[in-house]
Amino acid sequence: MFKYILKKEFLLISRDIHALLVLFIMPTLFIIIMSLALQNTYSNTIDTKLQVAINTLSNKDTTHLTQEINKNNYFQAKITNNENIKELIYKKKFDFIVNIVQEYKTQINTNKKDFHIDIYLNPSISLQNQLLFKNLLTEIISKQIMKEYFIKNKIDGKTLSKLNDKISIIPTYKEEKFKIKPTSVQYSVPSWLVFSMFFILIPISNAFINEKNFGTIDRLKSMDIPFISIILGKMVPYFIINQIQVLFMILVGIYIVPLLNGDTLQINGNYGLIFMMSSAISFAAISFAIFIANISSTSEEATTIGGVSNILLAALGGIMVPKFVMPEFMQNITTFSPMNWGLEGLLEIFVMGGGLSDIKTYILYLVIFGCSFLALSYMVLKKKENV
Amino acid sequence: MTIEIKNLTKSYKKNKVLDNLSLEIKEGSLFGLLGPNGAGKTTLVSIMNYLQTSDSGEINIFGYDYKKDKKQIKQISSYVPQTYAFYPNLSAFENLEFFGALYGLKNSELRKRIEYCVEVTSLEKFLDKRAHTYSGGVKRRLNIAIGLLNNPKILYLDEPTVGIDPQSRKYILDVIKQINSEDKTTIIYTSHYMEEIEYLCDDIAILDNHQIILHDKKELLLEKNSFITIETNEENIQVDIKNDYNNLIKMLNLIKNRNTPIENIVFNNKNLEELFLNLTKGNLRD
Repeated sequence: MFKYILKKEFLLISRDIHALLVLFIMPTLFIIIMSLALQNTYSNTIDTKLQVAINTLSNKDTTHLTQEINKNNYFQAKITNNENIKELIYKKKFDFIVNIVQEYKTQINTNKKDFHIDIYLNPSISLQNQLLFKNLLTEIISKQIMKEYFIKNKIDGKTLSKLNDKISIIPTYKEEKFKIKPTSVQYSVPSWLVFSMFFILIPISNAFINEKNFGTIDRLKSMDIPFISIILGKMVPYFIINQIQVLFMILVGIYIVPLLNGDTLQINGNYGLIFMMSSAISFAAISFAIFIANISSTSEEATTIGGVSNILLAALGGIMVPKFVMPEFMQNITTFSPMNWGLEGLLEIFVMGGGLSDIKTYILYLVIFGCSFLALSYMVLKKKENV
Repeated sequence: MTIEIKNLTKSYKKNKVLDNLSLEIKEGSLFGLLGPNGAGKTTLVSIMNYLQTSDSGEINIFGYDYKKDKKQIKQISSYVPQTYAFYPNLSAFENLEFFGALYGLKNSELRKRIEYCVEVTSLEKFLDKRAHTYSGGVKRRLNIAIGLLNNPKILYLDEPTVGIDPQSRKYILDVIKQINSEDKTTIIYTSHYMEEIEYLCDDIAILDNHQIILHDKKELLLEKNSFITIETNEENIQVDIKNDYNNLIKMLNLIKNRNTPIENIVFNNKNLEELFLNLTKGNLRD
């Protein structure tokens, strides 16, 4: 019997073009777009460097300053001879304009009272990049001055001059053997995977509401089929579809994103953990979908309620905006979204090399969430005298 | 063997839908349940098929107790809802295969039963086409074919001919007659269409104001409600005769006293629609 239930659900899904678009094409596009868009955020290089104009006359110091900026992976500088600032930003497309006097070193060394450096910038430049550039400028000028001081006082400043190279950034993983570089695709795949798994709501609610409205559910209930079989008959096929989504999205990360010059998704052999986590997410998503289907009268109503709920849960859960860019109070709010539990669990596996002990809490939360919504669905059905 | 319903009551909040309803249907009969909108026909059939619960009352179906023998009753019953209760994106064969499997049919048994249901409802040409492409009549036939898969002893048909052309309707009514006569299946048929019930059913009940207000064999029902039309040169006078002729004698005396010549006297049976409108007072229902 179960074979035919599965066959029926798969036939219906395979013939529902909208469901296929939502479950497979939408997340694929999200993964590709976001992996490529956020590539620079997780990389120590940048494809298009931010353009800097050192808006002063050329001399030995300003030339040196420009050369030092150009050694940085994020910025490219050139000297512009006191040109109009707005023209430099909006016509010549510079991102930063540094207004600095030629004899800046002398003025710093003599503590000249009105000395200052003005950095004009395109307002669209992120605060992160603004601070990065300001720190870089401070570092280069400080080094220039200190180098002269060291030479003058015969102090060996070799180590200090190469201090930047002496500072290493070492990602520390929970599992010693885990050596996966954190890249945008390692974040994008789990994020959009969780999001798309919750969109199983669309085909589930359509199927439930059609069965309700067409009277098929009455026919099923009049037959000698236990209620639990009807529910399992819905949950198991969609659980399998969720697992196919997981496989599909991982393959997109491994094979499709690199074709478009993105990073390659790396899986460190933690297939068992991925399956456990994806099963818990699937259970939560399907239970939530069944609840929405039960409280809605039409497909339009279910799609609206479900779609809006999913987008809110995604926004709150750190799917749309990465959690690390959120202020603390927002980061605390994310812990109330089931999508965040799913995402954090998958990130533990995909990015941090975590084990079962690191994901068990998230699995527990998702299972409790799923059970709660199943219980609520049962109560709604019971109230409607449908059980 | 009978279906016995005793003192069945059902309310939605404060609205009574069935009020102490009692009914008996004999095995093998083709039973027609008539009633205006909101009379409680669908509620009665839904309760009998475990889709709703009753507030009180007893039901016994062919010796099985409704409350204790749910499994057995479900196994011998089949419910064909008013709506197209199948999957429009599946073909007729895929629908029949799915519902047949739910009835516990397997392999050759399932195949044979599908073949039988397809033959009875003449669905051969539509087996591989998706159901949403069918005309209303073919959809109705598929709805019935699914209902026959478990070879039911009782087949509930809730308004099975709504929205289809006269040819398809005639075909479906003949199929129902055939199922009843050949398989001895008890049919419980609800409809608004009086002429359908009159054509099809041998046992008829009228449900109104939450109770059965009339229940009898079709012939007796119509016979008991016969009348005579006295045609005079001034008017045609209808006289209900029911079981005695007192009304007729009184009317003839009245005409004689008025010295009106009688042109003709015609003996009629009321048709079901007239009887129904008469009994339900012909009021518009919500």
